[in-house]
Amino acid sequence: MFSLAHGLWKYIFNKTEFHVLVLGVDKAGKTTLLEKLKSTYLKGEGLPPDLIVPTVGLNIGRIEDANAKLIFWDLGGQVGLRTIWEKYYQEAHAIIYVIDAAAASSFEDAKFALEKVLRHEDLKGAPVLIFANKQDLPGVIPEEELTRHLHLKELNERPYMFQAVSAYDGRGIKSGIDWLVEQMEKSKRTEVLRERAVVAGQI
Amino acid sequence: MGIVFTRLFSSVFGNREARILVLGLDNAGKTTILYRLQMGEVVSTIPTIGFNVETVQYNNIKFQVWDLGGQTSIRPYWRCYFPNTQAIIYVVDSSDTDRLVTAKEEFHSILEEDELKGAVVLVYANKQDLPGALDDAAITESLELHKIKSRQWAIFKTSAIKGEGLFEGLDWLSNALKSGSS
Repeated sequence: MFSLAHGLWKYIFNKTEFHVLVLGVDKAGKTTLLEKLKSTYLKGEGLPPDLIVPTVGLNIGRIEDANAKLIFWDLGGQVGLRTIWEKYYQEAHAIIYVIDAAAASSFEDAKFALEKVLRHEDLKGAPVLIFANKQDLPGVIPEEELTRHLHLKELNERPYMFQAVSAYDGRGIKSGIDWLVEQMEKSKRTEVLRERAVVAGQI
Repeated sequence: MGIVFTRLFSSVFGNREARILVLGLDNAGKTTILYRLQMGEVVSTIPTIGFNVETVQYNNIKFQVWDLGGQTSIRPYWRCYFPNTQAIIYVVDSSDTDRLVTAKEEFHSILEEDELKGAVVLVYANKQDLPGALDDAAITESLELHKIKSRQWAIFKTSAIKGEGLFEGLDWLSNALKSGSS
């Protein structure tokens, strides 16, 4: 009897757990973003940006907002390491794609890598949140221009949004995450992943 | 009371201690790495039967580094050292391509251990000074590092002989331990 009630309790109050992949080319600011997310949502202190070294592997951040638990997977963005990205696609609910909006020279590479991400079968239907990062820097490229530059036709096959942010001072991050959670909650992909997890006996 | 004070002191001044296990197959270079980190020198080593333990102070963290012998017959004893471990440094001989499969299997069986569930993982793709050594991306593939999804990991190209990459790895490790999200 108790276990029944406990099950019901868990069913009602357990927050859904979402896996969010944080991708982007090297120096886009993915890990700085991750640390900012941690400090914003966990009220602790994240690592200061000057202590962050290039990621060669995986960093993980876990946060909770009102309705959901989010697990962020931040993967290294150097060319040789991008082959790992796709190994994490199957279990990802959504993508945050980070771009250094102050470095126009990185746009081509960023576009090329993004196109490859969007075309991957394992990410079908996954919502994509594109963070135009480093808004705190002078010489940041206006959003319309960046949007025009990165507008790939593959984006139209899924929910997507461009959001200007600064992983340094935190602007724009919360509204981006709110959008992402909302999208993941109503996403068909979330349904599919949940069913797969049930079959695999994880729930 | 004294303990509370010590804790308060170390949390204020950022001195922390971390227990690190250095694991890997025999002849991967674990002992050379340990003494390179500790003394900054290359020492001549013999195969470790048992363990070496040294303290390395770096980035305000006192790393208590345990280097355990890697030969097949003594690998079962690794588990005696698992409790209370914050991080694993897994050392691979990047030039010994014949044994990468074994290195992978040992690695993943370590990761399955309950007592190491919370430990972050740092991989040293060692012996980069040797011809034919695989780079970090290739070692990542061979070790199937992407199967790790619930803890932080990183890989660094190292040469214990030349002293390259080791402290970059420790930099990452100290950040990973400080951010405490493992």
